[in-house]
Amino acid sequence: MRKLVRNKRAVKQSTKKAANRAVKQPMEQAMRVEKRKVLLHVNREEHELLIYPHRTLAEVLRNELQLTGTKQSCSEGACGTCTILLDGIPVRSCLLLAADAEGKEITTIEGLAQNGKLHPIQEAFVDHYAIQCGFCTPGMILTAKALLDKNPHPTEEEIRNAISGNICRCTGYAKIVEAIKAASEMAR
Amino acid sequence: MTQYSLVGKDMKRVDAIAKATGQALFTADLALPRMLYGKALRSPYPHARILGIDTSRAVKLPGVKAVVTGHDSSDEKWGVFRYTQDQRFLSIDKVRYIGEEIAAVAAVDEDTASEALGLIKVEYEELPAIFSVDDALKPDAPIIHENYQGNINIHVKIDVGDVEKGFKESYLVREDTFDAPEESYFQAEPYAVVAQFDNAGNLEIWMPNGGPHLKAKPLANVFKMPLNKVRVRKITIGGAFGGRSEISPADVMCALLARKSQRPVKIVYTREENTIATRQAHGMKATIRTGVDREGRVQARDVTCYMDGGAYSSTGPIATSVPFLCMEQAYRMENVRYNGYRVFTNKPIRGMYRCHGRAFACGVDLQIDMLGEELGIDPVTMRLRNARQPGDYTPTKSYVGSCGMTETIVKSAEAARWKERWGKLPPFHGIGIGCNSVQTGFPMGIRGGSEAFIKFNEDGGITVISGVVDNGQGNETMLVQIAAEELGLKPEDVQLISADTEVTPSDPGSYSMVSTFVGGNAVRLAAQDAKQKLFVLAAKALEAKPEDLIAKDRKIMVKGEPERSLSLTRAVRLGLSKGQSISGQGAYWPKVDSRREWVENPVGQLSEAFSFGTTIVEVGVDPETGQVKVLEAWAAQDVGYALNPKIIESQFEGGLAMGGQGGMLTEYHILDRGRVLNPTQLEYKLPLACDMPKINNIIVETFDPNGPYGAKEAGMSIAMSAAQAYSAAICNAIGTYIHEFPITPDKILKAIEEKSKREGK
Repeated sequence: MRKLVRNKRAVKQSTKKAANRAVKQPMEQAMRVEKRKVLLHVNREEHELLIYPHRTLAEVLRNELQLTGTKQSCSEGACGTCTILLDGIPVRSCLLLAADAEGKEITTIEGLAQNGKLHPIQEAFVDHYAIQCGFCTPGMILTAKALLDKNPHPTEEEIRNAISGNICRCTGYAKIVEAIKAASEMAR
Repeated sequence: MTQYSLVGKDMKRVDAIAKATGQALFTADLALPRMLYGKALRSPYPHARILGIDTSRAVKLPGVKAVVTGHDSSDEKWGVFRYTQDQRFLSIDKVRYIGEEIAAVAAVDEDTASEALGLIKVEYEELPAIFSVDDALKPDAPIIHENYQGNINIHVKIDVGDVEKGFKESYLVREDTFDAPEESYFQAEPYAVVAQFDNAGNLEIWMPNGGPHLKAKPLANVFKMPLNKVRVRKITIGGAFGGRSEISPADVMCALLARKSQRPVKIVYTREENTIATRQAHGMKATIRTGVDREGRVQARDVTCYMDGGAYSSTGPIATSVPFLCMEQAYRMENVRYNGYRVFTNKPIRGMYRCHGRAFACGVDLQIDMLGEELGIDPVTMRLRNARQPGDYTPTKSYVGSCGMTETIVKSAEAARWKERWGKLPPFHGIGIGCNSVQTGFPMGIRGGSEAFIKFNEDGGITVISGVVDNGQGNETMLVQIAAEELGLKPEDVQLISADTEVTPSDPGSYSMVSTFVGGNAVRLAAQDAKQKLFVLAAKALEAKPEDLIAKDRKIMVKGEPERSLSLTRAVRLGLSKGQSISGQGAYWPKVDSRREWVENPVGQLSEAFSFGTTIVEVGVDPETGQVKVLEAWAAQDVGYALNPKIIESQFEGGLAMGGQGGMLTEYHILDRGRVLNPTQLEYKLPLACDMPKINNIIVETFDPNGPYGAKEAGMSIAMSAAQAYSAAICNAIGTYIHEFPITPDKILKAIEEKSKREGK
């Protein structure tokens, strides 16, 4: 027996993603969602942007501000790669709407080095071989910064717990933990 | 070995600052003027005939600039070998797995492209589908590829010595079957491609790759273009682990869209697409029969292995062979038989993976422990008695020059205080050992060699040009280190141009663990070539013989008389003043048996060198929850020579995390009728920082006679032996053996319960 099927939406591996799109596009067109003015403070600079309200902070940082140091790996909050600091707190920028970041100070990896000098955590990552492919590195460094700002001399366990929301596939984390420890000792 | 200035020492990675500051550009970070965004339409069915594709509505959607289907492409099919070319880049007649590419759209933004996909009408006729190897092999099973009757894609058959006689003469024989489902790479970077054509018809393309030249050739085939018009560009790559070595339909779709729209196009895969539509690692069932004498020496071994290959051939013949080859390299055996079957199913395509076949590797090692237990011999002694030795030939006739298998066992056992721990640990604590060996390169025919060029600038600085690619493992640092060492320069005097097919000469790529051996040797030879020219010039000026000169500290000096010296800059300028510019050329071709073929003739020199690794881990198991806590790990590998010890340690640590911690505890895919239910990091559990044990790295050096400075493959023997050590340690902790991997808490609790029942508790 021949079963003929007409497909409407063929991309179905992710029901979640498909559902997102299914909701998002008709909304933009049928409901005529309009772009909105959003004021973002990023790395000590002010940016006035005209964006759709459903744009995530990760998308806006990457596509509107060309701050591509913020990487996207899972885009659903599971891997920590897109971590940025929001008023000093590590946040997954793929889960945050850009509009919701208004009025807060956003720090991306590009905002860490100052006047051409690496931040001590960046320096420690370089010196302690904590970087391999480098894709998780920006999120990892920012998470480490938030930890050390709050707890300048963490134990190894505190370091491991703090970065346990940032997945690294290359290093097995050993050298990353060493680097963060070294950065905390540099500050002593 | 202290005569070197840079080599053998920790040298900081040349790419680290760019990566730490966010300046390093990955493919998805690229933005070109007028660039469009591409999306792929994928099959929702595991097995179906395509009756028609109607793109007319999608084309009319405002913002859509191009729609392509298989009819826009040539008939070229992909497969690593001529006899395995079975995958069209965009299917026109049939789809064989959920996620297979059918069409692609380029539009002004991703949302518009996605919307256009929904407007493409595809008419399918669903076909009965196959989701397991067992079902694929049934006599009345549906056929997935017409030219592969019985759904057997590849059969690798190896039979050495007299296996039956070996079993007959054995004191003890065991047969066990081990099983493991498919797993995935989860490179941090999801797959992405950017492509554009210029007015002269040159294709310029960026994507993560395991070797740019191995992307360029199939692209040239599909687009019927000469190779010098296909420019695979250098770009930072976010991990590979074997999963970036083949051409991807995304490369072809992106280039087709760029050609049709006459604009640059970018495709960025979602995490789900990266899991489903790049490659996965094979699911595998291995039946292993081993006979040993009273002392535990292997007399005969017979392995039959069924691998779930998914919908297409991919690297089939290689993937079917490598698990066996790793074992035959690691352990001595005179009589051995292997039947490896790679079977088609309607599941995502399986390719090469850093931990080749955990069911095979862990099965072989667990069985050694079982046999040892029956004989009253401990696991370390069992391995020492069977360990590969230098000067041996493997069963399939590869000569093993340098070999530190025994040394890795001895050193890791000493460091782990094995004798004090084995059999003496508290209840539900265990210790386990695994041994393995990995190739330094595969026979790759005309693409097996690497060439490098070096040019001197008038200020004494150099540019190195090499086809070697860096996926994150540190290859670029290795090349700079070697060039600077040979020429007496500082790392900052060296600029590297690499992995760009327009500029860099041919190279076999990184995925056969050969970059240091072949690419490193080529750069070393190029540097020596340039150095020789400089020495001839300097010899006159220094009134010495060229053979008495050395290059060190940016100078050329007479050996033993550092005051008789000339700066490199002066030497270069001296050359220029005489109308002679200084450059160097070097090429290295691995000495392998070119007649060796994976299926037809699996005999002869496979690789020029082999690495050997041993991992030991200690674990604690919670008998109430089945949770495993890994307490400490010891990783020892014979790397030939440690060019950059810290980078090698990083490979050990990453390998242990992937092969052991992930591969043996948490990682596997769950599929329902061909649909992957855990395609993202949310449900597929990767190791986290808080999970990892303390890792003790033990670098063993055997100075391979042909490797650059004695170096060979570094790190992968750990990834594989770690899986074996983890499984052995857990089984030791619970006092019974588990035959299915990964060893998740449910399996542990079931095994403990069954053991209690057996013992009448």
